[in-house]
Amino acid sequence: MGTRRLALAGAALAAVLLAACSQGSATNPDAGAGGTGAGGSVTLKFQSLQDQPAAVEAVKGIVDSWNSAHPETKVELIQAGWDGIYDKLVTQFNGNAAPDIIHYEAASIVPFARDGYLADLTSKVPAELKSDISDGIWKSVTVDNKVIAMPTELQTYVVFANKKLLEASGATVPTGDSMTLEQFRALAKATTKDGKFGLAWGLKSPTATFMSLALTSGGTFFSGTGKEAKINVGAGELAVPKLVKDMAYTDKSIDPVSLTQSGSQALASFYAGKAAMTVQGSFQAANIKKDAPAGLDWVELPPLSGSQGTAQAANPQTLSVNADSPNADKAAEFVAYFANAENMAKLNQADALIPASKKAQDLILSSTGGKDGWDMTMKSAQGLTGAPFLAVDAYTQWKDTIATPSFQKYLANQIDDAGLTQALTEGFTQVNR
Amino acid sequence: MNRTSPPVKALQYLALAAYILFLGFPLLWLVSASIKSSQELAALDMSLLPKQFHWDNYAVALQKQGLTRSAVNSLVVSLLSMVFVVLLSMPAAYALARFKGRLRAVGVGWILVSQVFPVILIIIPLFIILRDVRLVDTLLGLVLVYTTFTMPFALWMLQGFVAAIPTDLEEAAAIDGASRFQTLRRIVFPLLMPGIVATAMFAFVAAWNEFFFALVLIQSPENYTLPVALKMFVGGEGKVALGPLAAGAVLATIPSLVVFSILQRRLTGGLLAGSVKG
Amino acid sequence: MTITSTVAPSPTTQDRRPRRGRQDRSSQQRREAIALVFPSLVPIVIFSVLPLLQGVWYAFTDATLRRNDTADFVGIDNFTRLAGDSFFWSSFRIGLIWAVSVTLLQLVASLGLALLLNSDLRFRSLTRLLALIPWAMPPVVVAIMWTMIYTPNGGPLNAALGAVGLPSSINWLGDFNTALPAVIVVGVWIGMPQTTVTLLAGLQQIPAELSEAAAVDGASAWQRFRNVTLPSLRPIVVSITSLNFIWNFNSFGLVYVMTEGGPGGKTMLPMLFTYLEAFKNRNIGYAAAMGVVLVIVVVLILAGFLRTQFRKESA
Repeated sequence: MGTRRLALAGAALAAVLLAACSQGSATNPDAGAGGTGAGGSVTLKFQSLQDQPAAVEAVKGIVDSWNSAHPETKVELIQAGWDGIYDKLVTQFNGNAAPDIIHYEAASIVPFARDGYLADLTSKVPAELKSDISDGIWKSVTVDNKVIAMPTELQTYVVFANKKLLEASGATVPTGDSMTLEQFRALAKATTKDGKFGLAWGLKSPTATFMSLALTSGGTFFSGTGKEAKINVGAGELAVPKLVKDMAYTDKSIDPVSLTQSGSQALASFYAGKAAMTVQGSFQAANIKKDAPAGLDWVELPPLSGSQGTAQAANPQTLSVNADSPNADKAAEFVAYFANAENMAKLNQADALIPASKKAQDLILSSTGGKDGWDMTMKSAQGLTGAPFLAVDAYTQWKDTIATPSFQKYLANQIDDAGLTQALTEGFTQVNR
Repeated sequence: MNRTSPPVKALQYLALAAYILFLGFPLLWLVSASIKSSQELAALDMSLLPKQFHWDNYAVALQKQGLTRSAVNSLVVSLLSMVFVVLLSMPAAYALARFKGRLRAVGVGWILVSQVFPVILIIIPLFIILRDVRLVDTLLGLVLVYTTFTMPFALWMLQGFVAAIPTDLEEAAAIDGASRFQTLRRIVFPLLMPGIVATAMFAFVAAWNEFFFALVLIQSPENYTLPVALKMFVGGEGKVALGPLAAGAVLATIPSLVVFSILQRRLTGGLLAGSVKG
Repeated sequence: MTITSTVAPSPTTQDRRPRRGRQDRSSQQRREAIALVFPSLVPIVIFSVLPLLQGVWYAFTDATLRRNDTADFVGIDNFTRLAGDSFFWSSFRIGLIWAVSVTLLQLVASLGLALLLNSDLRFRSLTRLLALIPWAMPPVVVAIMWTMIYTPNGGPLNAALGAVGLPSSINWLGDFNTALPAVIVVGVWIGMPQTTVTLLAGLQQIPAELSEAAAVDGASAWQRFRNVTLPSLRPIVVSITSLNFIWNFNSFGLVYVMTEGGPGGKTMLPMLFTYLEAFKNRNIGYAAAMGVVLVIVVVLILAGFLRTQFRKESA
């Protein structure tokens, strides 16, 4: 087995693989934004993150129809994954290799806009679309009075209920346009019996949920933007965490295990009939429809409302245009086309998400007849509004290193209201230096 | 070793079985998840055996565009990195272990620092260097990066293995008039074989499983490697297509197991035994 | 670099070459050394040393990731600021518990496994292959699988504990007391193939005669292990342990996916702070200072470790 033979085999293998390697990489010599090809035709690179097969198809359909109508401006679809996309975008922007059109979500794309990487779309949004999307949603994608992204798909937090368990407890299934936090608490208490819990709430990563639902009680957490942002934790901010704690420790109506689980894990208890209700992202309606046991009769309840109504934080998925793109205007045109009502209805229905524009929402309502929770989901969408945390520079760090651990300690009953308030505010002062 | 008594032997087998259970159970669970329907995966009280075999996951995983393509990319990149790492680090590790002085100081210092310094802080300068030599979004660029970043480990380990070889043998050869190169080829490298195989396995795995560089450096879907392609089953908002992901992951373990089984045959010594006697 | 001499091979391997002219020999040695090292230097300098120097340079600037950012030299401002960052330092304690326990457990468990795989048992190729499973499983699914195994209600681990009459409702990743041990087990699991293969290769390199000679002299299995196997293995144990320590101290991805640093910050590792500061806050200058501090701390710890190892060797 001489070393020489081994070395020879190694060298031969390397040669073959190198050949394969350079062949594979020859297809795409240029990283980054597309350019201008022969005859003045333009290629736009569109990095899309769709993960549901139906949504991938929907985006492909939109791109294909654009390409056949605009032979001079070809859009090249690049499919990337959600996981790790932030890291990828950071390097793409800093290496000057970002695509022309960028799919992401408001909370995560805003920092790139603040750093100057995104083109101003304010004047590129068609007037009709501008008025068809609520000011609250526009607020979530506006940085320094510039629209930096097109809102495309949204979600809300909603309550799903097991109809049989609700009726067996003697409670009536709520209807109407909203359900107050008190009604919700009473309902959970009433359905907690026979070893079953009223509610399974996956709060392993509680911050996003609490930040969003705090708006129902006027809790905004922050005022100001960028580095100048100030934190304020008061009654409105604490309303929902307090509600959860009271339900878990006073009423014992929340399955305590679910508080340390993800939303999908909490769904398992709901499927198994061990919890009468569960709070989930609205998109889970599609998964419940697909995965729930055949006998489970489920219903989506009216949106939760606190002292300030059914407001929730809008954190839409977005399309943005790279400020360094040589064809930024063309890219903005495509973004506007992408966001038209027909396209948005098609895409959001495939993804079980909520389109930003009223017209697209109506299209979905009429094509689904409001079934499978769509009617309640659309009602909850009316409360969507921009939340101040989107514009806070240190938000992500505060969320990961301060807020999430503090909320977890609070939910585990290790700190009280005062302790939570102190941890959240002092922690923010330290990270926002 | 026929001295081992039967009770000791039984204990050894028991311990080995415990190890295999600990190390292998997650794979068993993965296989089980890959043949369950999404309904069953979402239910409480998970069992190892699915109620109903659900092979669709494999069909879905394979249909997912580019999974096979990315497997081929991964295999090419991993094998190439493995060959490069071994070829480049063998001589250097020898030098590191046998020559003292400044070279060794600099070498060891760099090995440690390069392993500790967070990758996150060098990725942007690295990206710009690669972009300037037009190696961003190429498999070759990935191979060079993997080779570079696996080498500290390979050097560090191999110099340990070299240090474990008694110098007497080399001296004997030197007295017989063999040049340094001949000594290396005839005496040191054959003795190093187990260490080289261990290093080669590591170099392969490091490239095969690597996610971050591949995510950041590769732009076109046709150049994605397997970890990047598999990650695409993990969506936003924690939406995971668990069944198809598990199926894809099961398929992805096969090539690495094949490579391991080929390499580990060479993980046997016994060569040294013969040469010391002489 | 004081540590460099400490990893020198054991006394038996020290230079006893026939003496020629001293000058002549050392210059020839240098040429040989350069020829042996040069091929590996090229990629290292281009793809590792250059970016690394740039990364260290950031630590002394106010560099951010803004578009067209101009980084200004700020001296040691970043370091003085870091000195007062209590969150970063408190994560160090968790980081050390994590890295030390994972490294030690990895070493003990892998040494046991390597000895078993090296002994004369049946199904050797098969068991050796099975021992590599954690390597073969794509990292994407590792955290997902372990999270499923740890599921408090209906997960296989609790079900197995329940079946033998032990408490079966432990919320492994959600409970403040069990979260860190639970992720440490996964850390050990994922690093075992690496350590096992390395130690197994080391065992294979030990001449069988040594052990057999000791056996003839009437040494027990334990004595043979202590007096023959372990000393021969020492350079390899030292190498793999120091590397494992570095990797474990440096890793946060696996833990982050499983627990996101929770519950209540119980699994928040120091590298997470560097990541958040560099990429999420886009203050790459301050983050680089964290990186430099991490390097210094780890190198100091390793220097201590390697030095004691060297003392033992020469004792």
